[in-house]
Amino acid sequence: MRVVVKVDGLRYAYPAGVKALEDVSFDLHEGEILTLLGPNGSGKTTILKCLLRILKPFGAVYIDGERRWDCLKQRELAKFFGYVPQAHYPTFPYRVRDYIAMGRAPYHGMLSLPSKVEYMRVEEVAKMLDIEELLDRTVAELSGGQLQMVLIARTLVQEAKVLLLDEPTAHLDVSNAVKVLDAIREIIKKGIVKAAVMTLHDPTLTALYSDKVALVKDGRVVAYGCPEKVLKSDLLNSIYGVSFDVFKRENRLIVLPLGTK
Amino acid sequence: MRSLFKLAILFSVPISLIISIFLGRYPVNPGEAVRAILSIATPHLVHSPPETVKTIVVLYRLPRVLAAAITGAALAVTGASLQSILRNPLVDTYILGISAGAGFGAALAIAFLPPVPIEFVAFLGALMAFFITFSIAMLWGKGSVIAIVLSGVIVNALFQAGLSLVKYLCPDPYKLATVTFWLMGSIGAAAFWNKVLRMGIVVTLCAVLLYSIRWRLDILSLGDEEAVALGASPIKERAMVVAVCAMAVATIVCYTGIIGWVGLLIPHIVRLTVGADNRDVLPYSMLLGASFMVVADDLARCLTSTEIPIGILTTVMVAPFYVYLLKRSAGVWR
Repeated sequence: MRVVVKVDGLRYAYPAGVKALEDVSFDLHEGEILTLLGPNGSGKTTILKCLLRILKPFGAVYIDGERRWDCLKQRELAKFFGYVPQAHYPTFPYRVRDYIAMGRAPYHGMLSLPSKVEYMRVEEVAKMLDIEELLDRTVAELSGGQLQMVLIARTLVQEAKVLLLDEPTAHLDVSNAVKVLDAIREIIKKGIVKAAVMTLHDPTLTALYSDKVALVKDGRVVAYGCPEKVLKSDLLNSIYGVSFDVFKRENRLIVLPLGTK
Repeated sequence: MRSLFKLAILFSVPISLIISIFLGRYPVNPGEAVRAILSIATPHLVHSPPETVKTIVVLYRLPRVLAAAITGAALAVTGASLQSILRNPLVDTYILGISAGAGFGAALAIAFLPPVPIEFVAFLGALMAFFITFSIAMLWGKGSVIAIVLSGVIVNALFQAGLSLVKYLCPDPYKLATVTFWLMGSIGAAAFWNKVLRMGIVVTLCAVLLYSIRWRLDILSLGDEEAVALGASPIKERAMVVAVCAMAVATIVCYTGIIGWVGLLIPHIVRLTVGADNRDVLPYSMLLGASFMVVADDLARCLTSTEIPIGILTTVMVAPFYVYLLKRSAGVWR
């Protein structure tokens, strides 16, 4: 499969001098969900922010073939990467319809406004994600799961090629978490976006929903590959200090945390 | 419901403007007032009303009402914009140090520089305070939201201290009283055609600029990370908005003195009634700010035999709204 994003030797240190990333490299292929798995503070979110150039790291990211991501204008990069931040309610209670339409910002200068056609696109996307009935509510009225779906809708209106999702299942119950992950898988399968990188905390969900997994610890990618190869009990144990039971049932990889020993 | 509120705000402006021209110590009936205004525009067409009425309406009431409207509109629209880019519903444009700077300048002019016009020194003070706030925030705070708010707080405190010092050193109790009165704000000082014209031009220019980036303000209100991810340059764009707002309010505050709470509360009421989107918040804040200030000024000049400082009135009028907001939100910001 074609490589959509090639990450080559990212290094980043925060202004205080704390090293956050050291030599992070991986490939993202078309049609894949890549999950970054690792403990709190391991650098998963930092990787996403470096891809988006919210942070400016050393190293290179090649997008869509061979273009270096720091040669693009921020606006052009925003048409490629769609960012789904960790769900938080915005300061002002915008209407959901308007909030999703903000995904059109990379296609506008400072002075222009989203058009009727763009608002029709908002409705199409909402219909596709089955959140149409939320459109006329305000963002403040949404539940955590609904807010997450609305944020995903925003990146689809943005016509992003690759989604970057920061803990899309944080604070969600199991049914909402599965709903969100199913939606992500669905939009990739339909080819609406080419691929996705997400960070997760749950090894069980990681095993069920990832095509590739990168284990991240202390700013390094410790292991990278398909879930069967990476999600091994000894590897996971070395990262989390927790013993795991990893087995297959009905051709599905199951990762069960057992306890600290 | 929203469109009903919009309509109400829209009509509040002409109604408050027209009624205010009839109000005042000298009774002017509506017909006379209209004829007085028309007789200026077309001297030969209408039967001219008495000279006194003409003078009162054209030279006193009309500029005063317009000055109030411009002041209210400017405070509200800049307050709304600043709340958006600083992601804080509890700030107004005074957070940039402008009010304290203007107060310091005015006090200095009244106490020690009698021949120099007060508004000139107040304007310089406001600009200087803003410039210091802005430099600290940009140079050492990298233009972040918290840097702007913090350096605004620091500069406000500094100029307040300067103001206290001027008051302390001022030898003349009469001048001290003038300083105190200036600080409480009054539209009366701005009610001259040349001042109205100057305020009108600057405020219109700033308001047009802010209105033309109304959707961008929504994007910036999402926070720097999301704004960057959506292709914006938040630090640069925020600096621009801050400068435009400061310009408008510095122009206002040097004539009117410090009129509190309008820039903070009017956008709140608009968000509650017509929605949070800046495509609505900006224009309706301007309109509601204008009519609110016109009414407040009517009360200031008609309620008692001497004028009540308008800063006191706006604060008293706004306090109940705040209690209502608190009750509505049950103590939680949403």
